[in-house]
Amino acid sequence: MSKFIIQVNSPAYGSSSSYSAYRFAKAAIDNGHMIEKVFFYQDGVLNTNSLNSPASDEFDLKQAWVDLHDNHGVALINCVSAALRRGVLSESEAKENQQLHWNMQAPFIMGGLGELVTGIETADRLICF
Amino acid sequence: MKKLCIIFRQAPHGTAHGREGLDLSLLSASFEQEVSLIFTDEGLLTLLKNQDPESIGCKDYIATLGALSLYDIDTVLVCQESMQELGLLEANFRIAVSMATATEISTHLASVDEVIVF
Repeated sequence: MSKFIIQVNSPAYGSSSSYSAYRFAKAAIDNGHMIEKVFFYQDGVLNTNSLNSPASDEFDLKQAWVDLHDNHGVALINCVSAALRRGVLSESEAKENQQLHWNMQAPFIMGGLGELVTGIETADRLICF
Repeated sequence: MKKLCIIFRQAPHGTAHGREGLDLSLLSASFEQEVSLIFTDEGLLTLLKNQDPESIGCKDYIATLGALSLYDIDTVLVCQESMQELGLLEANFRIAVSMATATEISTHLASVDEVIVF
């Protein structure tokens, strides 16, 4: 069994690499490996926007990440500074920035780059998409 | 502690790749990881002197390159082939770097735990 940490750098729509990241995570778990956490950086933070609304006959990647968390306990962490710059805010950042709305989907949570680095330290392998 | 190698391969200001790569480099080093950097392809342009990113509405994040040694990031490799393709000289760069051939870069990549490409 290996312990992986996955870094997602591309948005949910418009690039296939975040979907590849999801498929990798799913396949790893199905084959008995462990996903330490999924860390969303760069445009990857756009995966966590609750307003992502794919057409009904299209794959809902945001929901797939949520299911991965619900079914397998995988932590889903956003880089907070990358997220804020791209308009993805949790309730607490919205309040801190005097914004009336927030849009980060639960159970994604905000974290810092430090969470990526500590994840890299404890995982066997980092995989970037 | 792990050995992380961060590769810069995109030009500095058209996208946020370089900036977010440099953020991760400094943060990793401050978390006591052994961090090395490789500049290749148009990523080399990040190293040029006399840039004025603020004139195009960008933050001057490349000034932070000067802090690499304070963070104990001492291994900064530059791809020799990319240098030749872009017609650059070592004197054009704002920080001290080491020239590396493709073989030397491969050897270095094999010696680190993780590689992250920006």
